[in-house]
Order: sequence, then C-alpha cells, then structure tokens
Amino acid sequence: MARANSRQRLGPLILGRATARPRGRLQWYAYLSILPALCFVALFAVYPVAFSVRLATHRYVLTDPHNHPFEGLRNVAEVLGSYYFRRAGLTTLTFTASVVASVLAFGVTVSHYLNRPGRLAGFLRVAILLPWAIPVVMAGIIWKWIFNGNYGVLNALLVSLGLIPSYVSWFGNPILAPLTLVIAHVWKWGPLAAIMCLATLQAVPRDLYESAHIDGGSGWAAFRYITLPFLRPTLLILLILETVGGFVTFDLVYVMTGGGPGDATSLLSWFAYAEIFRFLDLGKGAALAFIIAAVTLGLSLVYVRLLRLEALYS
Amino acid sequence: MIRQRLIDAGMTAVGLVLALFILGPILWMLDSSVQLDRDLFTVPPRVIPQQPTLDNYRYVITRTPPKSYERVTMGGRVSGEALSILPALRNSFIVASSVTAVVLAVGAVAAYTYARLQFAGRDLTYAFILTSRLIPAISVAIPVFVIIDRLGLLDSHLALIVVYVAFILPFTIWFLTQYFGYLPRDIEEAALLDGCTRFGTLRRVVVPIVAPGLAAAAAFAFMGAYSEFLYALFLTRTIAAKTAPVVLVATAINFDVSFALASAALILTIVPPIIFALVFRKFITRGMLVGFGR
Repeated sequence: MARANSRQRLGPLILGRATARPRGRLQWYAYLSILPALCFVALFAVYPVAFSVRLATHRYVLTDPHNHPFEGLRNVAEVLGSYYFRRAGLTTLTFTASVVASVLAFGVTVSHYLNRPGRLAGFLRVAILLPWAIPVVMAGIIWKWIFNGNYGVLNALLVSLGLIPSYVSWFGNPILAPLTLVIAHVWKWGPLAAIMCLATLQAVPRDLYESAHIDGGSGWAAFRYITLPFLRPTLLILLILETVGGFVTFDLVYVMTGGGPGDATSLLSWFAYAEIFRFLDLGKGAALAFIIAAVTLGLSLVYVRLLRLEALYS
Repeated sequence: MIRQRLIDAGMTAVGLVLALFILGPILWMLDSSVQLDRDLFTVPPRVIPQQPTLDNYRYVITRTPPKSYERVTMGGRVSGEALSILPALRNSFIVASSVTAVVLAVGAVAAYTYARLQFAGRDLTYAFILTSRLIPAISVAIPVFVIIDRLGLLDSHLALIVVYVAFILPFTIWFLTQYFGYLPRDIEEAALLDGCTRFGTLRRVVVPIVAPGLAAAAAFAFMGAYSEFLYALFLTRTIAAKTAPVVLVATAINFDVSFALASAALILTIVPPIIFALVFRKFITRGMLVGFGR
C-alpha cells in the first residue's frame, strides 16, 4: 500500500514500468521513434555545454579576437571573486526567495477562493488564465506602464485613495524597483500556481471535510490535516519551478528596469547577459553561465531528492 | 445570520480585489489603446476615455498616420517600430505553429515509446532528455548563437524553430509520457492482437483517445514559442524574422515612446494567445490535472 502510494505520488517525476519488452523489429522501432527527439536535444545540449566549457576555460574577449590562451578556472575564479557577482548573487537570492514565497502563498490562497461556489469565483476561474496566456515580456511592458513614475495609473490611484502623498518614482528607488519586479512576476506566474493548486484541491474527496466538520474540527485543522497533505506534492513541484524560474529571471529585468537603478535589480542572468553582450567578454560570460547552471541544477537535484524522500515517508 | 452576511460581503470584496489585480492591468492597456497620447500623458491619466478612438489601431495596421496624429508629438523612430507589429506577428505565428507541429509529431512518437516499451537505455535517454531542460537558456546562449551562425540560419524563421523545438521538446515528451501512462492498455492490446503495428496502434487507436492531452501539449508548446524573448532577441536582426515580443520590447522600453501606439500593438499581440487559452481552457486545465494533480 505504502509502495503503491509512493509510486503514485512520484508519478510526475519518474518513468513507470512499461509492460512490453519488445524483441527484434520492435526493439528497432523503439530506438527509431526516440531518435529524432534525441538528436534535437543533443544538438542543443551536449555541444553547447562542451563549447561553453571551452569558452569558460579560455580567454575570449571579442575586442581582442585572435588571442585565446588557456586560462583554466581563472574566469570562474574572477567572476566568483568580483564585487558585482556577490551583489548580483545577493539580489538574485532575495528576489528568488520573495517570488517563491509570494507565488506559493498566492497559489494556495487564491486556489481556495477559486474553489468556492458562486458566479464571481466561476468568473475568476476563467479570468485567471489570462495572465498565464500573456507572454512574460508583454506582462513586463504592461507593468512598466502601470508603475510609470510620471504618468502611471498606479501612482494616480494611490494618490487619489490618499495612500501616498505624492507620486513615487518606482523605478528610481533601489528598494521599490525590485518590488515592482516581484509584483509583475507574481501577476504573471501566480495564476499558474493557483490553477495547479485548484486542480489538486478538486481531487480532495469531499467527505473528508464533511467528517472533519462533524467531528468538530476547525477550518484551520481541516486545512492543516486534510488540504495541506494533498497539496504538498503540488507545492513541492511549484517550489522547484519557482526557484529555478526566479533564479534565471531575465525578461522582466530587461523590459522593466534594465538592472537599475544602479545595480539594484541586476540579477545574475542579467549580469551574465551584460557580460556577454555589452562587455563582449565571452569567457567570463560562459563562466558565469556555468555558475548559474550549476546552482539551478544543484537546487533541482536537492528538490527532487526531497520529493523522493517525501514520497517514501508519507 | 448577520455574521454570515458580513462574511459573504467580505468574500465578495476579496474576489473583486482579486479580479482587479488580475484583469486591471489588461483592461488598462485596452483603455490606453483607445486613447491618444495627449490624454494619456496627463496627471492624473484619463481612466475613462473622453473620446475613445480606434486611430491607434488604424495607424498600426495601415501604417499611415490618421488625422488625429497630426498635432501629436510622436516618439520618433522608436515608436515607429510599433508599426512593424503586423509582420512581426506573422513571424511569431509561423514560428510558433511550426514549432507546435514538429514538437507534437516528434514528441508524441517518442513519448508513446517511453510510456509503453521497455528497451536498453530507456531510462538513461529519458533522464538525458529531461535534464537537458534544466540548463538555463542564458547559459547556452553563446554556443547556440555559434551553431545557428554556422548553419547559416541567423535572422531566419528556421533558426528560431530549431532552437525552440530543442527547448520545448523535453517538456512535451515528459507531459505526453505522463498522459499516455494513464491510458487503459486493453484497447491497444486488442489492436495489437488484431495485427496492428505499434505505429499503427499509435495512429489509429491511441491518438483519438489522447486528443485532449495532445491539445494541451500543443497549447503549451505554442505559448512557449510565441512568448520566447531572449533567443528571438539575438538570433534575429531584421523584420524578416523578428517576432512580436522583440518588436514590442524595442518599442516600449524607450522613454519617449508613444504609449497609445504601443498599447494598441500590445493588445494585438496578446489577443491571439488569450483566445487560444480560452478556447483550449478545458484541455489545459485537464492537462495540468494529469501532469500535476495526481
């Protein structure tokens, strides 16, 4: 029973057992059928990674195109030791922690609202798909326009409600600028989290709540002991998606803040982009890209392990 | 009784705030797109348009300035770029639908094998395909640029199609493998006994049953390709291949942009995926249920 349950919970992450064990022609069919997919993926995974290793371990500055001495880990060391890396790393950690917490909180609370009966909730169940459908750079443009310091509709709204005395320069303030990114990110990705949580909530058998109610359990107890265990696998998957997603956020920064003011919103992937495309230092850019990839891969592996433990012990 | 009423009213208020947060930004863009800059660049901006006009759309679509624009100062060349939104949308459509078609064909065949057949190297290749997706896009930007450059594909639709297929395929395979895994096997076995080949079984028996899953996978693939920005930004140079996100961002991030014009272009760009999402709503949510809900 426990085994079956764990397999079921791990469903999204591992491959179930296939029944058929083909021989001869079928065996060939199996390889043939995955060949095109493998080729595509290999061309854009194996070669680029190998190429990046070469770039990262050599000197590749486009302003000095014919000089590529081997430098070992010097690029990596220089990037790791630089002030900007530490700044960008810290900014990225803060940003990622904020979006993970906000998106998960949004997903859990909003999905509960969507799960209610009534017309408003029904309307919102449809409406919530819209931010998900809108490309992330478009979301960035929309929010940039809303947060506009001089003509933005948010400033006008807040002033007319008496919440702020005068117009605020959202993008000119090193504390508010990251906040605008978090809000835009939650607007864009929170709905997906809510839809996923809602899908899970709808799978919880109704009678569990009814018996909890009859037994005199509080709403909180029902949430803690019935809802949360059901939501847990979904929340863990969201945790992975959001951590990795937050860590490699680029589009919103490019559109909304350009890393500024100063370097207040200069996240790691923006820093890598600037290193490559502005300073034309491919070696350092590749080294930085490796560091980002290592961190996201490491995080994903930790989480997948957590998921497995979770599946084994629940 | 009164307490219940208060709770209901409070819940309605919460719902309205939520609706405002979700829909407000989109409605404000819609609102901006039917006004002119001279009304938008005021303090406070006009929320209720005084003279709603379709001139922004007219300008973006026909590329000839309507009369109302004569006395409006335009943001110069940068706003002018909003005028190439139609060709950019065409590029976006060509790229996104080609990617969807390729990813579905290649992905469904591979996923069916992973879900049903046992062969040496099965787990290894599956893990390889999935982990490839964990490499952040920015990390392989330079090598991908070099590959595309060597293939002579820079600034073409094909460049974006190939790259997006490689990036989206792992998700499609994972998703469809999940989906196929939930299908009852009896029908297939009957088809196999009746002398259908594996591929024939896939085509005649499985595909009709899994159409909802395929639709969801198609929706995810289309959205992914339609939204992509980073690679579109540096693999394209001219309007021959530039996609809608690239053109719009180039327009909108400038300080002296015509916001009325940019909003009109933006609305034109987000309408197709929104319609898409609403039409495929059932499949998308059901697809998520299969992917994440169980």
